[in-house]
Amino acid sequence: MSPAEQAATQERIALAKAGNSEAWGELYREHAPAIFRFCRRAMPTREDAEDATMDIFIKVRQKLSQYDATRPFSAWLYTVAANHCWDLLRRRKLRQDLETGEVENMPLEHPDPGQLTQLIEKRTGQEVRRALDKLPARSRMALVLRYYSDMSYDDIAATLGVRRTFVGVVLLRARHQLREILEGQGGASLAAGGAS
Amino acid sequence: MIHFDEMACLLYLEGQLDAARSRELAAHVEECAPCRELLHALESETTLLSSALTEENESIPARLLGEHTRRLPAWAWTLAFGVFAAGVYWLWIDGIGPLFDQFSSAGFGGTDLFSMIVFSGAFWEGWSDIMDAIQIGVVVLLAIVAIEWIRRRLRRSAAIAVVVSALLLAVALPQRASAADVRRGRAILIPAGDVVHNDLVVIGPSVRIDGTVEGDVIAFTRSLTVTGHVTGDVIAFAGGVAIDGNVDGNVRVMSHSMILEGTTGKNISVIANTLELTSKGNVGGEAIVLATDADLDGKIQRDLLGLFGRGDLEGLIGGEAWIRGGSLEVASTAEIRGPATYEGPQQPIVEAGAKLASPIRTEITQGMRRTRMTTARTAVRAVFGYAALLAVGILLLLIFPGFFRATLREAGSIGLPIGVGALALISGGFLLVLGVLLLFVGVGAGMASVMAYAPVLYVAHIFVGVWLGNRIRGESPDNTSAIIGRMALGLLILRVVELVPVVGWLVWLAVVLWGTGAVLMGFYRTSRLQSAPVPA
Repeated sequence: MSPAEQAATQERIALAKAGNSEAWGELYREHAPAIFRFCRRAMPTREDAEDATMDIFIKVRQKLSQYDATRPFSAWLYTVAANHCWDLLRRRKLRQDLETGEVENMPLEHPDPGQLTQLIEKRTGQEVRRALDKLPARSRMALVLRYYSDMSYDDIAATLGVRRTFVGVVLLRARHQLREILEGQGGASLAAGGAS
Repeated sequence: MIHFDEMACLLYLEGQLDAARSRELAAHVEECAPCRELLHALESETTLLSSALTEENESIPARLLGEHTRRLPAWAWTLAFGVFAAGVYWLWIDGIGPLFDQFSSAGFGGTDLFSMIVFSGAFWEGWSDIMDAIQIGVVVLLAIVAIEWIRRRLRRSAAIAVVVSALLLAVALPQRASAADVRRGRAILIPAGDVVHNDLVVIGPSVRIDGTVEGDVIAFTRSLTVTGHVTGDVIAFAGGVAIDGNVDGNVRVMSHSMILEGTTGKNISVIANTLELTSKGNVGGEAIVLATDADLDGKIQRDLLGLFGRGDLEGLIGGEAWIRGGSLEVASTAEIRGPATYEGPQQPIVEAGAKLASPIRTEITQGMRRTRMTTARTAVRAVFGYAALLAVGILLLLIFPGFFRATLREAGSIGLPIGVGALALISGGFLLVLGVLLLFVGVGAGMASVMAYAPVLYVAHIFVGVWLGNRIRGESPDNTSAIIGRMALGLLILRVVELVPVVGWLVWLAVVLWGTGAVLMGFYRTSRLQSAPVPA
């Protein structure tokens, strides 16, 4: 985003904070598609994503006065969105298999780089998205936060409620799970095999 | 050679390793082909993940974009009005007109029937009790809370599924008579020995069934006499009904007078001016009776629910009795096997010898005898109604500010909400007619469909009132007390204007259409768009 655009966004935020609904509408239209796509990646169904998007913007409007203008607005938005989605998923008890203890005990093995490269080269974006949908909630959320929203390890840790040092482990584990699912669609075992 | 593990490689790629370890890894990778490859593979995996996640493969749902709902073009509400007008015309030509014709050919005019049944005797008082402002207020609040509750707990698709299936069920229920044998004529007779192997729909001044009907009998007539045998139900809208024969099913009758001398296998529901269950009469199931004058000499095997102007019990009630009415006499020959409750203005007269399972639990009610309201009473009632409406408005504003403001915004566009309100009330009209029909099939379903509309009609005034207040005092700042002030002013003006004879009625109609549309649109906004994300 160019400095001019940033300045325009900041101005809109200031106006929206003051209750200007026109400025709020512009902010909404500017950011709603990205937040919807984020929700679409994070939530299991399209309908969930639509509902979540609307709820997130209601929250954002209510919390607008808490927004710190020194932070990028979209980063703040993603934080609100991530917290909301994670909260929803947690409430639905979709992460039974994801308690933190398990993450700490996960064995980390060295995959065969050749096989991994092969697997990655054969897969399309659509196949990866389908595989993502099958991931447990926390793994999916971690990947989305990192590789869709570009969130820092600190923010991911805060959102998922894990220690910062385990964010890498969560991400790596998620990648392994994803590989397993992709393999299930054809290919050799990679997640837990290979050279070390 | 000692290799770096996958974790270290990933953290290195993500810039999460400290500087010393980063340098170490970078140096190692220069010399170690497997680790270099792994690093490349992980990097490609990152690229694949990022591109898979960010590819814009899915369109944004229209409801999130919001623009389409911001302002509907003029043609939309013109269309709504057109459909409304067409609906009224169609309803009149295909629905009400023929119905009135049927009533006329059956021997009485619609107005007579309506006034006879609804506005005479005990019923009118019942209606006015039900319509009491406070009761409606409570119903409104309960309905709002229930809707809010359902909205939060049910997913949208589930809610839609519930509503659609309820509607389908409602539409499907009365279709049983579609393949029936329909007969019209001045005097319809099913002679003794004749058998009709079908449901029978009869329309005409006089109907007499001496033979057998293997199915239901649905009659629109001045006089219905059944001396034969009906294996299904008897449903009749009639001037007078006499059943001397046997009905295996239910008897549902709306009639001026009703004499039941035969037997019915199941339940009876009767709305009549006079009902006589003779000593030979026998009801196999329950009886629901609304009658100005009820003489129950025969047997009711199960419960009795009665709303009587004057009730006279001489026979048997096999189950529980719940009676409300002007007066009740229980003769020495009477027997009530279950608990009995009576509500009325005076103690029931119970003759010695009457067999009661327990003494009749009696509740003396005040005001059952009120028939005409005095001017003072009307004025008090008007003030009371105004205060109740204002209170409901304030509660709505305080409990559901989002919904209130959204509805208010919708009310501001005038034409569209009036169109929507008109459409809703037309479809509501169908539901109402259906509800009345269902009243004879299932009391619960019928009442529910009618009751669903009452709260919306009731709160309709509030939003038009605030709009009017805003017009007079200028657009309101967004603070609650200012809105309440404008609500009080607007409602007062509406209430006063509505007291004017003809103009008042027209104003009332406009306000109801307008407000209902706004409320429905407000609901739509708050439940789908939540109104917050999208500017008005």
